Amino acid sequence: MPRASKRKAAPPSSSVAAPPPDQSRKRTAKATSKPRLKESDQIDNLFDTYANRSLGEIDPEGIESLCSDMKVGYTDVRILMLAWKMKAQRQGYFTKDEWQAGLKALKANTILKLVKALSELKKEAESPENFEDFYLFAFKYCLTEEKQKGVDIESSCELLKIVLGSQFHSQVDSLVEYLKVQKDYKVINKDQWMGFLRFCKEISFPDMANYDENQAWPLILDNFVDWKKEKSSSR
Amino acid sequence: MSNQKKRNFQIEAFKHRVVVDPKYADKTWKVLEHAIHEIYNHNASGLSFEELYRNAYNMVLHKFGEKLYSGLVSTMTSHLKEISKSIEAAQGESFLEELNRKWNDHNKALQMIRDILMYMDRTYIPSNHKTPVHELGLNLWRDNIIHSSKIQSRLLNTLLELVHRERTGEVIDRGLMRNIIKMLMDLGSAVYQEDFEKHFLEVSAEFYKVESQKFIECCDCGEYLKKAEKRLNEEIERVTHYLDAKSEIKITSVVEKEMIANHMPRLVHMENSGLVNMLLDDKYEDLGRMYNLFRRVPNGLLTIREVMTSHLRETGKQLVTDPERLKDPVEFVQRLLDEKDKYDSIINKAFSNDKTFQNALTNSFEYFINLNARSPEFISLFVDDKLRKGLKGVSEEDVEIILDKVMMLFRYLQEKDVFEKYYKQHLAKRLLSGKTVSDDAERSLIVKLKTECGYQFTSKLEGMFTDMKTSQDTMQGFYASHPELGEGPTLVVQVLTTGSWPTQPSSTCNLPSEMSALCEKFRSYYLGTHTGRRLSWQTNMGNADMKATFGKGQKHELNVSTYQMCVLMLFNNAERLNYKEIEQATEIPAPELKRCLQSMACVKGKNVLRKEPMSKDIGEEDAFFVNDKFSSKFYKVKIGTVVAQKESEPEKQETRQRVEEDRKPQIEAALVRIMKSRRVLDHNNLISEVTKQLQQRFLPNPTEIKKRIESLIERDFLERDNVDRKLYRYLA
Repeated sequence: MPRASKRKAAPPSSSVAAPPPDQSRKRTAKATSKPRLKESDQIDNLFDTYANRSLGEIDPEGIESLCSDMKVGYTDVRILMLAWKMKAQRQGYFTKDEWQAGLKALKANTILKLVKALSELKKEAESPENFEDFYLFAFKYCLTEEKQKGVDIESSCELLKIVLGSQFHSQVDSLVEYLKVQKDYKVINKDQWMGFLRFCKEISFPDMANYDENQAWPLILDNFVDWKKEKSSSR
Repeated sequence: MSNQKKRNFQIEAFKHRVVVDPKYADKTWKVLEHAIHEIYNHNASGLSFEELYRNAYNMVLHKFGEKLYSGLVSTMTSHLKEISKSIEAAQGESFLEELNRKWNDHNKALQMIRDILMYMDRTYIPSNHKTPVHELGLNLWRDNIIHSSKIQSRLLNTLLELVHRERTGEVIDRGLMRNIIKMLMDLGSAVYQEDFEKHFLEVSAEFYKVESQKFIECCDCGEYLKKAEKRLNEEIERVTHYLDAKSEIKITSVVEKEMIANHMPRLVHMENSGLVNMLLDDKYEDLGRMYNLFRRVPNGLLTIREVMTSHLRETGKQLVTDPERLKDPVEFVQRLLDEKDKYDSIINKAFSNDKTFQNALTNSFEYFINLNARSPEFISLFVDDKLRKGLKGVSEEDVEIILDKVMMLFRYLQEKDVFEKYYKQHLAKRLLSGKTVSDDAERSLIVKLKTECGYQFTSKLEGMFTDMKTSQDTMQGFYASHPELGEGPTLVVQVLTTGSWPTQPSSTCNLPSEMSALCEKFRSYYLGTHTGRRLSWQTNMGNADMKATFGKGQKHELNVSTYQMCVLMLFNNAERLNYKEIEQATEIPAPELKRCLQSMACVKGKNVLRKEPMSKDIGEEDAFFVNDKFSSKFYKVKIGTVVAQKESEPEKQETRQRVEEDRKPQIEAALVRIMKSRRVLDHNNLISEVTKQLQQRFLPNPTEIKKRIESLIERDFLERDNVDRKLYRYLA
């Protein structure tokens, strides 16, 4: 998943190359001969596998190794959805409580089960009842600093692609193109973020015939519509 | 004798001789028939009313009412038939006269017959549902005379012919006409309308259609209207003289339709004489006539109003966008006031102060005055000019009149806050240079602005006046407590409260030592009595009066700006100074210093300094000397540059930007105010509420309002409703 570019320890923001896993961390293979542990204990054990000892939390590196174990890309939307399911508070980190809550809800106590659960999770997050909640979560998740109100343009674009790219491909492409050339706004705030989703859901595209700029759309979308219309007419 | 036979008294009815005579009815009728004949033959005098009445009475009593009635009908009918023949026989002119005469005769006869047959009228007729005698007489007349085939059309044509002749200027016998028409009216409104009025109106319509066509080809608008008015009056007069009053409205609408309504567009737009020309030439009489005529027809006044409005808008637009006019702001505004006066006059004198026209005037002015973004600035400059010198010697009443007119223009402005900004700047300059003609006039205008826009608008302006007054008192106190300073240069300080006056960043300036010492003394005096305040000298706004003696001994008193004073004082200690030296000594910023030197060295009549080389521009290496050859016919020479002027382009941009910045918090304040009281409101209503609240000061841009809303959302003052994204919610 994309990181906020302010993070000091982070490698370049758009993609994260996984550093070699810490040698101090050993993967505990479950010996089949061990007595059958309670599920919650298994979940805890799994947590310990990836957690940073000193922090007591899973940190970015841990998440990376989790991803590689699951054979899921770091920037895959399903990781974001996992964070959502866990109600994770801080980007790049999973606390023990979050981990437990998430995996319990997914009924996953092994990596295999977790991987299987991910596809179900995707459907769940994308369902009409949940999608808006997930969408909003994705935004808030990027607000790493305290009192941070907006996500920078670069990261917003990436996030849009991840979260909306599959459902609203052409809208996202256009929006991203616009966001990169416009100069009015340097960050996207929550109101604008939610506006994007509404736009994709309600406005026919690419004609945008039912867009009325006298309605309460955020100004950034008014400008986007004008820009797009001008572009199409000048062709 | 006592034996009286008792007898019953019986009073027996007086027995009439029973009429058994079968011929009784016939005989009685014959008498009556004969009487009717005599009446018609003007021989009524020989008849006995009493006898005839009795005969009629008897017939009815003995149940011969039927015979009597039908006899009456046939007798009268036959007489009328004869009468009809004699009328038909009348030639030419005498036709109507004959008809009239016979009608009068018939009426008299009818009267008498009715009297004779009164008993039948009251008994037999009602119970048998027959037509009463009088009415019967009229109906028979109608059927036998008026509707007779030989008379009907001849009558109509004669009447119409007479009307036509009168319309073409001939004199006709109006009395006769009146009688004939009255006859028709008496016969019933159906007769009047069917046999006369209907055709009269048709023919009139034709007549006026032709006439109006003829006129419009050969007359100009004013003349045509005169003719139309004349015709209208004629027709009204005609009705009073010989037609039914109810016809007035019908014939006038015919004339209105044919002469006015059908030709309205052509009249109004007639080249060289139409409405626009009348307006341009202040043709009050013609305009008044047009107004009175057009108001009679549907959309008449609307047409006038529309043409007037579009003409006014066009004229106004040209006025405010003409580059020539924009060179002189005072002229510009004067021209607008003149235009307003002109139209006020027209509406007053020609359009009877019609409110819809006044509104049209207001709308037009509002439209074009705001086409030019500099209107607020220019109006302020106009006021500035008047308050500086234009109102000198003008009576108090006239001053009020002029200020009221200016206020009217002010009301038309959309961007009143821009006006406020300029007004403040110009007022500051006026107050500080002491150049206002009348304090009362200034105050009066402030009061008017306050009435129009509320206390907030003028509180700062009033603050400026207060500062001036307070400063006077401060100066008095200062000199009272420092009597030793009476000998030296006189210092006059105006202490300005920062919030009230237009802000100007003050720059460095080294005052000459005499002045700086004095200034310091003042500073300590002031801060002694007002602790906690900070004073900063605004050297860019001051002025000085200096006495100077030149080479040939000529003495002058120079009125200069503070900067200029600093420069000149240097020459008390040096013959020649170059630019660099002056700059170093005074520390005045370069652009101001250059302007200051230019005004003293390069302007004819004010060149107290001499410059080498003599170019217009100030170069770094230029040298300056006192101009010993300086001369002026005036003792007092004014060199200062503190007069309010039309702003240059960059200055204008700056002011405009400051105004825009000031608007943002005002919009936000309005938004918060509205949402706080409504709690929940949808987008469109919010925009319109905000616009309504702010329109006294300026017209907010909806996009700007949206930006402010989003800013408030970001700062958690407002939020969008979860379900309906068009709603905003106030967050306490």
